[in-house]
Amino acid sequence: MTEITSLVQVVVSGILTGGVYAIVGIGLSLIFGVMRVVNFAHGEFLALGMYAALFLFSRFHLDPYLASIIVLPAAMLLGYAAEKLFIAPIAHAPEHSSILMTVGLGLVISNLLLFGFGAQPQSIYTVYSTSTLRLGAVTFSLPLTVSFLITVGAIAGLYAVLTRTEVGRAMRATAQNRDAAELVGVNTAQIRGLAFGIGTALAMLAGTLLLPVLYVIPTVGGVFTLKAFVVTVLAGMGNVLGAIGGGLILGVAESLGATYVSSGYRDAFGLIAFLLVLLFKPAGLFGRSRV
Amino acid sequence: MERAGRMLLAVAAVVAAFALYPQLFPTRLNLGVAIVLFAAMATAWDVLGGWGGQLSLGHAALLGIGGYTMALLSLRLGVAPWWGMLAGVALATLFAAGWGWLVFRLRGPYFALSTIAVAEMLRLVAINWKRVTGGAEGLFIKTLPQPFGLNLFDRTVEFYLGLGLLGLTLLVAWWLSWSRFGYYLQAIREDQDSAQAMGVNPTRYKILAFMISAAFTAAGGALFALYVSFFEPHIIFDIGVSVELALIAYIGGAGTVFGPTIGAVLLLAAGDLFRNYFQQANLLIYGILIILIVRFAPEGVAGGWTFLVRRWPRARRPAAAPAE
Repeated sequence: MTEITSLVQVVVSGILTGGVYAIVGIGLSLIFGVMRVVNFAHGEFLALGMYAALFLFSRFHLDPYLASIIVLPAAMLLGYAAEKLFIAPIAHAPEHSSILMTVGLGLVISNLLLFGFGAQPQSIYTVYSTSTLRLGAVTFSLPLTVSFLITVGAIAGLYAVLTRTEVGRAMRATAQNRDAAELVGVNTAQIRGLAFGIGTALAMLAGTLLLPVLYVIPTVGGVFTLKAFVVTVLAGMGNVLGAIGGGLILGVAESLGATYVSSGYRDAFGLIAFLLVLLFKPAGLFGRSRV
Repeated sequence: MERAGRMLLAVAAVVAAFALYPQLFPTRLNLGVAIVLFAAMATAWDVLGGWGGQLSLGHAALLGIGGYTMALLSLRLGVAPWWGMLAGVALATLFAAGWGWLVFRLRGPYFALSTIAVAEMLRLVAINWKRVTGGAEGLFIKTLPQPFGLNLFDRTVEFYLGLGLLGLTLLVAWWLSWSRFGYYLQAIREDQDSAQAMGVNPTRYKILAFMISAAFTAAGGALFALYVSFFEPHIIFDIGVSVELALIAYIGGAGTVFGPTIGAVLLLAAGDLFRNYFQQANLLIYGILIILIVRFAPEGVAGGWTFLVRRWPRARRPAAAPAE
């Protein structure tokens, strides 16, 4: 394989992984944008999605991609309920309260998973788990490609909702200025619950999409919470569309760094970029544009 | 000053009460050492997190610096652990100064996120710099010198060393409760812009608080390294440790003298109890407790107590009034 094809190969696998990072980051960004809450339980919801798909697969032999059709609305309801039960009551408390609350939620979720499914890593085997597609000299992992396409579909759907519907307008208004939105008749309490529901649904969707390619352990969420933070900070916290770019940048940077610099420091590249952006361009790489 | 004097007596009483622990629960010494160490480190965390209001979720970095410096100097160069501990404290204090200088332009959630990133990077270095740190397999402390004939692997010795550190951190917290420096920190916590307008330089005092916090956390980390004697990067540098320190302080009552100690006793004892019933899922109780505290007693256990004590006479007065 020539150097160019191997470079293309590395970039392609980075982009495919980046797609998953993007959808996790978008959920986090939407929640922060609308609610000003940094959701430290975001990765744990992803883990919950993985275990939901695992459960549906092992009990009912349901394919993870089909399972996402069931998981998505259930996750939405779960997120909405979680917001109403745990986060809405502390809406006016100091900032750190919501951080501690979501840290607590994350601990409860991951420990319930530990209790219910045990600590051993689990995975599922599907016929396509290791299949690849070929385009010239470049290969695409089939499950990652399918995930990427579903991710693109989900993001397009979210974009349509945010820009074309009344609910989406209300959500953007709440993100821009909560008091003003309230004044013009937006039920911001409802919108906050909805934003948390959508964010949770996206995280759990990402979980079901990752199941065919990743082992799952109850503590897998922490890694993804961190990735989601990196993505949203790169994009600018609350910049929903920017999170797509943030996800792709992170995926490609990790893939390139792991191949050409050092695989042990794979996660460090994202963190360094994260710190630099936080310190020197806290509005994110893509300016202030929000959805 | 009268209140400060009474508080000092309370600090002495608490340390004296703890000193009885090895006699009262000789079979539960492991738990005892964990309680005093985490109480000390959470009180140290609270200097920045509670009194200064800067939510750090990266203190594992400082704990790790303290532990690794002591262990590596002892293993690789044969340096006595107490000198190693001092070196770790010095290194962590310097590190915190640089770290604070870098990140204190950030506020609120942005600051919290940046601390996670720094701690995670140190963890990755500890895992990958195998030649020095031993990598992911971790370090094993086999032999240690015996100062004054004290065996540093003995749990009773470790308990009293930990208690000594807890006593020191409680003195720091007591000092914050009445000193000018303490009031500066609280002013920054309540409203940074107003504090600055009143002539308090927020960055300077936040960095100082971070350095004090780092010094004691690193000392705790060195003792923690003795206590576990075998440690790996994903135990000592883990974000879970940072979160645990923050939760202990908040559950007990952040920004109070005894809050973190109360939190450590409550959480570690509860965690120990739950370990028997839920095996690995013992952190479930942490999650449930923090949700309940944030929801119903945002000031923590100690804050809730102060609230009750202050409210009590006032609540009774109106009831007595009509009788007069």
